[in-house]
Amino acid sequence: MPVPEPESASAESQSLTKAQKKAEGRARQEQQRAAKAAQKQQQQSGQNAGPSSNKSKGSTVQKKPALESNKIPSAAASSSKDAPTTREGAVGADGLSDGPKSRGLRIFSHFGLPKTPGHQIKGDIHPAIVKLGLQFSEFKICGANARCIATLTAFKTVIQDYVTPPHNTLSRHLMTHLSPQITHLVTARPMSVTMGNAIRQLKLEISGSDIDLPEQDAKDALCQEIDNYIRDRIIIADEVIEDLAVKKIKDGDVVLTYARSSLVEKILLRAHSLNKRFSVMVIDSRPLLEGKTLLHSLTSVIPPIPCTYALLPALPSLITDADIVLLGAHSLHANGSVYSRAGTAMVAMLAKEHSVPVMLCCETYKFSETVMLDGFGKNELGLLSINYFFALLFADAVCNQTAPMKFSLGASNSNLEVLNPLYDSTPASCITAVVTEVGLIPPTSISSIPLALGRTTL
Amino acid sequence: MASDPQSAANQRIVEDLVSRLRRRQLVGSRATALETLLVLRQVVSKARFSNIDQLVNIIRSVGRRLVDAQPKEHSVGNTVRKVLHHIREEYHTANEQPAVESSFSIAKFVLQGQPRKQATIPSSETRVPLKENDPDDPDSFARVLKPVLMEAIQDVFDELETVYDNISKNAKDHIHSDEIILTLGMSKTVDFFLKAAAHYRNYTVIVAETAPFYGGREMAKSLSSAGISTFLVPDSSIYALMSRVNKVILGAHAILANGGMFATSGSLLAATAARSYSTPVVVCAGQFKLTPLWNLYHEYGALDFGDPSAVLGFDEGDLVDKVDVVNPYYDYVRPELLDVFITNYGDHPPSSIYRLLKETYDDEDNEL
Repeated sequence: MPVPEPESASAESQSLTKAQKKAEGRARQEQQRAAKAAQKQQQQSGQNAGPSSNKSKGSTVQKKPALESNKIPSAAASSSKDAPTTREGAVGADGLSDGPKSRGLRIFSHFGLPKTPGHQIKGDIHPAIVKLGLQFSEFKICGANARCIATLTAFKTVIQDYVTPPHNTLSRHLMTHLSPQITHLVTARPMSVTMGNAIRQLKLEISGSDIDLPEQDAKDALCQEIDNYIRDRIIIADEVIEDLAVKKIKDGDVVLTYARSSLVEKILLRAHSLNKRFSVMVIDSRPLLEGKTLLHSLTSVIPPIPCTYALLPALPSLITDADIVLLGAHSLHANGSVYSRAGTAMVAMLAKEHSVPVMLCCETYKFSETVMLDGFGKNELGLLSINYFFALLFADAVCNQTAPMKFSLGASNSNLEVLNPLYDSTPASCITAVVTEVGLIPPTSISSIPLALGRTTL
Repeated sequence: MASDPQSAANQRIVEDLVSRLRRRQLVGSRATALETLLVLRQVVSKARFSNIDQLVNIIRSVGRRLVDAQPKEHSVGNTVRKVLHHIREEYHTANEQPAVESSFSIAKFVLQGQPRKQATIPSSETRVPLKENDPDDPDSFARVLKPVLMEAIQDVFDELETVYDNISKNAKDHIHSDEIILTLGMSKTVDFFLKAAAHYRNYTVIVAETAPFYGGREMAKSLSSAGISTFLVPDSSIYALMSRVNKVILGAHAILANGGMFATSGSLLAATAARSYSTPVVVCAGQFKLTPLWNLYHEYGALDFGDPSAVLGFDEGDLVDKVDVVNPYYDYVRPELLDVFITNYGDHPPSSIYRLLKETYDDEDNEL
């Protein structure tokens, strides 16, 4: 076969040069490490050059070394602990970590870097947790409820696969087995309040489980408890909240909501199924633009709910037409402030100014006993890869999604840093009522709810 | 006398600007102001008139056409008003009548609120150097006055040319070391202002990117390339970061008579958030943005809308025909939310804007 041979060879050389380019790009950033990588690269390419020049076998054999050489730079990067694997990650590191060089503000330092997907796995981590960690860090699973349910479901698998080592009891040892799993999830993405609350409850159940119970029974009982928690605190709670909130939506109302809360979405769909005639204004904003997902689900019912869509800066023009504002929450704090998707605070603030009632829909398991004064003390940064369409602005061509961004943000402008805070904190004064499964309450009486539910721990 | 052939000659240059304004080929307050001024200069230089009223009428009719072409570009009308004001002033000096003096007193200020007295015209007939409606030589009035008028227009022109420098000359008094400034959108004035301050101070700017036009990104790029430490954030995090912000600096599209302003959408959010944290809001704007206009009842700021595809593009195919998309250009920001206007004529609180307006324009021109 004379024809395919040069083709495959050229393909290989192309991939090789690509890999070399990658290594060179890194060399500019991290010289020492890249020097090593380049060395490896050289070695590898030397190895590759040998077989490809000698042999004229089937193309499948030849592709293999090419693929290998492609992998090398990323492998080299991930071998060092603090070097982010992906190029987006590298940009993030560029922006935030070179503090001494740029005049960057230290007040942002506690936000921490967005976690990169390929972070290290330390210790004995269950595959289900590894998978979940990846889904968290890539924002495949996003939202307080979804993350809590996913975590608990994964823990069920972990518990079922757990075998108590000899000379140990399940109630004493299981928690030590679970804590590295939890740590792994937290390194993937900071723990949500919902997860914290659920895990605390789980710990309580584990420590309270009967020593005399056979192991399998104890595990089944724990899984049952987890199922109960999901059912009682999330699923049933959501249904009760839907019933309560739907009563507040009247025919002809214009409901305004921000981004996408799974609960608000359910409420709107329920109201629609009850044949209420209302329209929805979906306000949305970067970095996540979750409102588009909400739009899809609201317009895919029959007949579609009339929707208006606008970005956050257009809100002042629309808020005057709204009759009620429905918002979701990430967590609710003891001083009544609401930790929720960035932008929620401004929607609530403007609604209050225009005397539009703001209903916050929130299950009681999202309550936290801590106090939050502003959205700055605790926050989280979004992945930079989310805003790849920065490339649209900074480089005209979007041929490669990440490379132009790296060039324009990292190389040309050391003074420019991009922050994507994901949350903000809405003061209690902007919230009219909180819809919970125990009824509509003012945000200031949050702290009395755990007592009302008869729980010492939430 | 705006005879037909002349108005036709003027028509072409006016028509050209009208169509560019209408097609939004010419946007931005300063750019439109400059173009308007160029057109007015042409118009005045070619105009034939034998008394001041004819000249005013010619300028007004041109101004009306331009304003109608793009009513949202307030600086067009403002420039016309300003030129009219200057022309009248020159006319009065030429008549050797003490016109409005530059010194200011409460008594004068009260007088200025009154419509200008009509007595000026009859008295001018007695003056020697200026002869209006001279039957023998109808052009003599224009011939005497025109050089002065061109000078007056040149003054306005010079003012526009130097507006950024004059606004930013006091920048270092407003921005102090290690402050954190929040701004949004792309405003040339703010850009100059911040860069001027950067010569003296080390400070940080947080720029909200201002969806869907993302002027903030442009701004962030421009500021950071000038060596200012810049953070680019999405609009949604304005509130979260406001607790650390020392000052909000905004640009304006038009400053209104009540001290409020039209500004790029997102400004109202930032100003309201700033108010809830008691953060001062500073507006940088040239004086050509002063507009004798109120916006008391409009719900939509300035009632001007942009392209919805910037918000929800056709890549969201199935949504496009089911969803209304709103994309206003401007916000109306109430005077209560603003602390100071920094103009090329100095710093003014919103409450004294009406006074500036009285000084800058003549009352009879408020409606062109």
